[in-house]
Amino acid sequence: MSSDLPLIVEDLSFRYRDRAEAAIRGLSFEARPGEILLIAGASGCGKTTLIRAINGLIPRSYKGEVSGRILLYGQDPSGWPLVRISQIVGTVLQDPERQILGTKVLNEVAFGLENLGLPREEILRRADAALEYLNISSLRLRETYNLSGGEKQKVALAGVLAMRPKILLLDEPLASLDPASASETLAMVRRLADEGMTVLMVEHRVEDVLGIRPDRVMFMSEGEIRYLGPLKGLEKAVDYREVKLPAEVIIRRAKADPPPPPLTVLPGAAERGNEPIVRFENVTFGYEAGTEVLHGINLNIRRGDVIAVLGPNGAGKTTFVKHAIGLLKPRSGRVLVDGHDTRQASVAEIASTLGYVFQSPSHMLFAPTVYDELAFGPRNLHHPKEQIEKEVKEALRIVNLSDKEKDPPLALSFGQQKRVSIAAILAMRSRILVMDEPTAGQDYQNYMNFMDSILQMPGFEAILFITHDVDLAVIYANRVLLMAEGRLVADGAPQEVLRDTERLEACRLVPTSLLAANLKRFPRTGRFLRAEALAHLPS
Amino acid sequence: MLVAWRYRKRKSFIQSFDPRAWLIFYACNLVVTLFFWDLRFLLGLLGIALFVLFTSGVTWKEMRRAFLFIIGFIVFFAFLTFLTGRGGTEVYQQEHLLAEFRASFSLFGWTPVLKVTLERLFFAASQFARIFGIAIMTILIPYSLDPALYGVTFRGLGLPDKIAYAMDLTMRFIPTFGRDFQLTRDAQRARGYELEKIRGGLIEQVRKLGPLIVPVTIHAIIGSEDIIDAMDLRAFGVGPRTWLEKLTYRTRDRLLIAFGLLLLAAALILMFLGYGSFWVPESLIRAVGG
Repeated sequence: MSSDLPLIVEDLSFRYRDRAEAAIRGLSFEARPGEILLIAGASGCGKTTLIRAINGLIPRSYKGEVSGRILLYGQDPSGWPLVRISQIVGTVLQDPERQILGTKVLNEVAFGLENLGLPREEILRRADAALEYLNISSLRLRETYNLSGGEKQKVALAGVLAMRPKILLLDEPLASLDPASASETLAMVRRLADEGMTVLMVEHRVEDVLGIRPDRVMFMSEGEIRYLGPLKGLEKAVDYREVKLPAEVIIRRAKADPPPPPLTVLPGAAERGNEPIVRFENVTFGYEAGTEVLHGINLNIRRGDVIAVLGPNGAGKTTFVKHAIGLLKPRSGRVLVDGHDTRQASVAEIASTLGYVFQSPSHMLFAPTVYDELAFGPRNLHHPKEQIEKEVKEALRIVNLSDKEKDPPLALSFGQQKRVSIAAILAMRSRILVMDEPTAGQDYQNYMNFMDSILQMPGFEAILFITHDVDLAVIYANRVLLMAEGRLVADGAPQEVLRDTERLEACRLVPTSLLAANLKRFPRTGRFLRAEALAHLPS
Repeated sequence: MLVAWRYRKRKSFIQSFDPRAWLIFYACNLVVTLFFWDLRFLLGLLGIALFVLFTSGVTWKEMRRAFLFIIGFIVFFAFLTFLTGRGGTEVYQQEHLLAEFRASFSLFGWTPVLKVTLERLFFAASQFARIFGIAIMTILIPYSLDPALYGVTFRGLGLPDKIAYAMDLTMRFIPTFGRDFQLTRDAQRARGYELEKIRGGLIEQVRKLGPLIVPVTIHAIIGSEDIIDAMDLRAFGVGPRTWLEKLTYRTRDRLLIAFGLLLLAAALILMFLGYGSFWVPESLIRAVGG
């Protein structure tokens, strides 16, 4: 009966043409109809390569050495054209921004069907059915660039579903979504599986996916399957530091290990100061006349602050932060940095106080060597030559990249590039570090280590980061700003701001198991801690 | 691929036509304008362009930036050729002096002299009318042509499926590129980079633009890889394609195309008969004493 199985993978290996090592090795598994198979693992573990091998991009678009085989409903598709595979296997790529091709929602959903050359009436019928299925018929004539992140993700999914695949591949579908949009997407995936679709979902934040009860979990590491089976077994089979498990599971598991070393947050700020370094006074802003995206923002940033800015997509978080670094000037009200109005200061002058790390390192890396990349900022600020050399070496030491000084930054791994982009700000000796989605594009273990090391870096007096991840605020922040629709909805200590579940949900945030675990133990701890630390509370 | 041009549906003369018809007319109008140096014809063509502009429904606020840039550009070049007298010499041989301004100082024995001649004045005016007419017609296209119809428009003009879709993507890629550029500029400004302070020779200037050019290029390459994957995975280019949007010519579209072709034919005939080259009124030449 094996030919009834939608997908069988037998001893599959692949090596990209320009790499020495195989990306995946000897993978064997099968997927049943109506099953959700969760694929977890760190960056570079071969998840994406596996997805590409199943949807046929390997070896058609990505050349290399393949061995083993894949069977779709008992048939070997290796000789098929991609168009035939694409009618069985549908793929939603990680970033919906980059795969939406149509200008209008309807055009986007119809794209694949147009390419198949179906009659116009059939295309309309199928596209409308897909929109209706996902409950987004109201978006039909909207322009795709105006959609929110969650809407884009659903539209991308509709475009794939319209082609009526039997197997659905999702590559980190939650990465760019706010928590509420992520849960909506997941609910839809569950429904698809319940109706018979086979779903393979790549996601390293295992906890976030648990709500839809994946049937089995595959854990990959270094191109091989380390665990494949029911969810229960995963908790035992993998290191709780490698994938994000529910807090109570981590607490149970971590009891056996020694307690984590305590974090010395912001060693550069000896104590919390009272003098504001940055001051927002009644700031309003709009990109176009007549519309306002920030309304009356008032706040101070002081020495010792570790601020998490939370809020849904489009809440004005990035606009707010761009005011602090002077890239945008308020329409009314004022922003003071070190007592100076940002209207009278150039961005370069402000840069010595506030350093801004953009979301994607590829938006700023350009230099031939890491050294030059790091020296760029201090040179622009006219630091003396000997000082620059000291600053660069110190920054490299802090981000642990001293051995990469002569390497081209663009040839480094994503995580290393991210560290170079932080080091570039460190080298400028900015007093406040500002980061937009610091964990985007990194896997769980990497981004936790990354945050640990940044928070403990000497040199910064305050840190502010924008995030969708409530747990980052729980673990690292000592102050949380909650934003919605251009307003500051809440500003206070994490235990005060995050306690109000109703308000969180109104801001499209979803309370996490770590938050719940912390709230439960708060009378004993007096502050929020990571799950590993909660495990070692004296009982 | 998610930033769009500032297209909006407007009740306007230009948007009342099928986009194919409008592009054909645009092409005819462009060629005709390039044929002529005669200010009288050029003013007529500029009149058409201004009519289209004022009935386009695009507000000044929406297109201010584009226009200020183009006007600045045109005025600068028209003025430059006027000052130097270069650029016009292929279309006129004789010049009639109206006035001469001699600078009251000299540099290393050279005294700057500005000669105002009839020909230079008319050449500047003709050049202005010509480029301004083309600029108006061109600027209006992204504001008036529905991006959702780009592909089917090019297909309807006879291009093959793949090329039509590629043109469509390219047109829509330009604003995306602009957004990436802005993001990178912001990221580098936050590192103290000041674009305004770039000095030095041409090569030096290009070198100093590296912090902008390199990331934007890399980003475009990474982005295009995803786009190609997304297209491949949805069966792009496997066979004849159905275009969901349908365009149909109506009477007014046929009339517009006929008008464009007629304009082109008339221009060819006039050229053939020797009309349309650079023109300065005889009466003015006589008045100056030529």
